[in-house]
This record gives sequence, structure tokens and C-alpha cells, in this order.
Amino acid sequence: MSKKREKEPDLKGTLYSVGVLGAFIIITWFMAFYLFIDRF
Amino acid sequence: MATVAERAKDLVKVDRRDGKLALAHIYVAFIALAIGGLCGLLQTLVRSGTFTLPWGIGYYQILTVHGVLLGLVLTTYFIFGFQIAAVSRTSGTLTDKQRMLGWVGFWVMTIGTIASATMVLLNQASVLYTFYAPLQAHWIFYAGLALVIVGSWIGGAGQIGKYIEWRKANPGQSSPLLTFMVVVNLSMWIVCSLGVAVEVLFQLLPWSLGWVDKVDVLLSRTLFWYFGHPLVYFWLLPAYMVWYVVIPKVIGGKIFSDALARLSFMLFLLFSIPVGFHHQLVEPGISSFWKFLQVVLTLMVVIPSLLTAFSMFATFEIRGRALGGKGILGWFKKLPWGDARFLVPFIGMAAFIPAGAGGIINASHQMNQLVHNTIWVTGHFHLTVATTVVLTFFGAAYWLIPHLTGRVLTKQMNKLAIIQAIVWAFGMSIMSGAMHIVGLFGAPRRSDFSTYGGSAQAAEWIPYQIAQAVGGTILFIGIVLVLYIVANLLWFAPKGETEFPVGEISENAEKTPMALENWKIWLTICIALILFAYTVPVIDMIQNAPPGSKGFKLW
Repeated sequence: MSKKREKEPDLKGTLYSVGVLGAFIIITWFMAFYLFIDRF
Repeated sequence: MATVAERAKDLVKVDRRDGKLALAHIYVAFIALAIGGLCGLLQTLVRSGTFTLPWGIGYYQILTVHGVLLGLVLTTYFIFGFQIAAVSRTSGTLTDKQRMLGWVGFWVMTIGTIASATMVLLNQASVLYTFYAPLQAHWIFYAGLALVIVGSWIGGAGQIGKYIEWRKANPGQSSPLLTFMVVVNLSMWIVCSLGVAVEVLFQLLPWSLGWVDKVDVLLSRTLFWYFGHPLVYFWLLPAYMVWYVVIPKVIGGKIFSDALARLSFMLFLLFSIPVGFHHQLVEPGISSFWKFLQVVLTLMVVIPSLLTAFSMFATFEIRGRALGGKGILGWFKKLPWGDARFLVPFIGMAAFIPAGAGGIINASHQMNQLVHNTIWVTGHFHLTVATTVVLTFFGAAYWLIPHLTGRVLTKQMNKLAIIQAIVWAFGMSIMSGAMHIVGLFGAPRRSDFSTYGGSAQAAEWIPYQIAQAVGGTILFIGIVLVLYIVANLLWFAPKGETEFPVGEISENAEKTPMALENWKIWLTICIALILFAYTVPVIDMIQNAPPGSKGFKLW
């Protein structure tokens, strides 16, 4: 049995990157939604 | 330092006979790119209002050539070439029988392609994008495209045969990841293309041959989109194969997780097919409930897409940090930006961010009215297939072709490949950007240049159409560049060994559960979802069928 737990890779950058990606999707969707509500 | 065993693994070569089969497909793919790309350029020039086609060639004729050659021929042939090489590389040389199936499939597809292309060139089949009644093409056009599909089944059977053989020889083991992905993609393709086969055999062929007068348009479009949406995933999944398996090796890293990659592919198998109604959201004759249900299933595709995004970022970050990248995003700078095998597909990945966001908007039920039948949609799929997928394929061609021809990508060609991708990204940003914006202003897709009787609204679209022509011209320069690189890799590049990069799984990854390879479970769920999403609305369509339509030849 190993004495110390293997170190998890540091994925902070990944967390921020997917966060920005998610935010981009949500923002563009709401921009289109606003246009839709405005027009229909 | 790599061990001797690791180095030996990297030098595993695709058998020459399998390589020949793969290359035959790749030749056809790039011939299609040359002709289809030229037609794309002509289309944008015509739509700018400053150019008229010579010799009585019609706009809708070149639109059909562009759509069929690039959407069907370039993609299907490159995918098959890549998949054959991938299976042979990771599961071993094909048997003579499997390779023969590959060749029979290739020739059946090619005879079909030539038959269909002839009818389009004779102006007997200017039906825009293939199987869309009530526009009626010559029956040879439909028969030819049916042969393309049948040929793909035959060729696909050869690839699946290798997988079955591997599983039998290695019981209880996870199959090679790349081969597994190929089989998922082919399973999806076979299940979805059954829909279009039914449409062609039972509706379009009897109708175009004059055996029946009328066609049920609603049913034919439903069958078409049952096929048409998974078709876009059939294009995309090979790009994902490159991202998941090849790119980690190219950047010197490892595959983040084998299980995550397999799960993501299986989710694509489940959620790519029972979703065709999101292309028919403004179509009458389908109840709102079934549209809503398929919208929900469509949006489920967001899950494997974001799993993929996460996995890619994680692979990049782990590698970048191993190379000394510090801080939150310092790892980003450490990636091999000067390597075309990485940068070209990376630009494709980046394009998938706006492409995916646009796709979610398209599929959002009532919001589809905002963009339906506008050129926004054309802008959307020029980001997905014509940037994300195509740039990934170009990036793959830069190692696949020299691997198969026994040549190397020189430094100059690597540089040119990077320039090509930048030219492509620049041209596409202009063209697709203009299409997205003017689509929101209401500019229609699929239509020839018109001032619509001097309408003020249509006049507003013209500057954007000129921007599309500018972008289209830059893209055509990109096509010339890629054809030059491909010709170099096929015939002129220096002889040498080029690696077919296949990543290894990270040692930190969890063990892959065997359930991910239990086809009985996944195919059952897949078929159950299709039956759930389609049975009731299709029965309803047949029982309350709209009046049939005669064929229209408007060109």
C-alpha cells in the first residue's frame, strides 16, 4: 500500500476554461432569447 | 526518454494494402474538395450581385454540387479513409475479406457518386441539398446516392468485422479506443441511414420514376431528418477521435480518461438520432409535444459535448503544467503552437465554441423561428462542419497521408499548413460572421441573388452578401493551399517515416468499466429512444397524411 495518496493533477485552469465556455453559451443564448421576445 | 518498447509502438505502421484502400478514399475526398470548393466560391460571388454565371449554368446547380460534394462526398470518403487506417493501426491489419469489403464498398460508393454527379452536372438534379421533396430530381440522382449509402454499409462492415475479430481474440479486455470509436460512429451511421434508405426506396425513387404521382412531403422530410441530424454527428465523431486519441500524443501528453471518452461516444450514439424534429420545428403536422420531446433529447447532446471540452482542456493543462506552465492559464502558452498537427485541429476546436452555442439557439424550440430558413443556419454549419470538422481533417491529413505514402511533412509544408489554417479561420470568420448577422436580419438561405423587387429590407442584406464573397474568396485561397500541401504529401515530399500518433491513457485515469462496451445495453437504449421519439408521431403522420405533392423542377 502506498504511504501517501497520489497527488491529483492541478486542473484549476480547466475549471476556469469550461466556466468561461459555459458562460459564453448562456450569454449568447440569452441574447438570442431577448431578440426572440422582442420580435415575436 | 521513451523506452525501446514505446518507440517501437509509435512506429507501428498501417499495412501497405490497408493504406492503399485508405488512400483511395482520401483521393476522392480531396478531388471533391477541389470541385465543391470552387462551386462554393462561385456561389458567394453570385450572391454578392456582382457576378453572373457563364454558359447558362444555374445558381442552384452549383449550390447542389457544393452541398453534395462537400457535405456528403468529401466527408464520407475522408472519414472512411481515416477510419480504415485507424482500425488497421490499432486493431491490426485487416483480413483479406475485410479489405475486400472495403474495396467493394469504395467502388459501390464511387459508382453512386459518379451517377449522381453526372445528373447534377446535366442540370437534372438541382435539388439543393439532396433528398428534400417536393423538389424532384432525376431518378438516377437518387439511385446514385442510395448506392453511396449502400457502399458505406459494405465498407463499414469490413471495419466492424475487424472489431468483432479483435474482441473474440481478446475476451474480457477493453478494445483499442480508436477502433471502439470507429464502431460507435458506424453503428450510428447504419441506424440513421436506414431512414434515408426507406425514404429513397419507398418514396423518392417510385415518385421520380413516375410510378406514383405524388409524395408525402411531411413523411419524407421526417425520414430525411431522422438521418440528417445524426449525419452531422457522423462528420463530427471522427474529428472527436482525433481530439481524444491523436492530439494528446501530438502534444506529448496522455489521454485524460479512456472511460470518459467511451462514455461520451456512447452518449452521442444515444442522443444523435431521436432528435430530427429540431430541424422541423416550424413544420406543420407534427404536434408540439413531440417537437418538445425531441428538443429535450437534442439538448442532451450538450452533455457529451461539454465532457469533450473538459477532457480536452484537462489534457492540455496537464501537459502544459508538465512543461513548466505556471498560474491559472500559464500552461496554455506551453502547447506546441508551431506544430500544424496540433494547431490546425485546435483552431477547429475553438470554432466549435461559437458553433455549439449557435446550435443550442437553433434547437431551442420556438426560438428556432428567429433563424429558421435564414442564412444564419448556413453560417452555423460552416462553423461546425466547414471549420471544426474540416480543419481537424486537414490537421489529420498532415500526418495520415505521409504515414500512408511513406513520406514526411517538411518544415516548409508545416509552416504552409499553419498559414492555411489561419487563412481559413480568417475567411470563415468574415463569411460565417456575415451569414450569422444578416440571417438575424431575415436574409434567406438557399436562394439566388435577388433585390426582391427593390425591397428596402433586401437592400440592407447586400453589404453582408459582399462580405460573404470576400470571406468565400479567402476560403478558396485556403482550399488551393491545402490542395497544394496534400499534393506534396502524396507525390513530392521527401521519403521517410511518419508516425500515426495514438495516445496512451493517463496513469491517473480510472479503470474503464466493461459496461461501456456492452453493445446489448447501448443499442437497446438507442433503439428504445428512437421508438419512443418517433413511433407515435410517425403513425399520426401516416394516419392523418397531408395531401401528396407532385414533383417540382423549378430550375
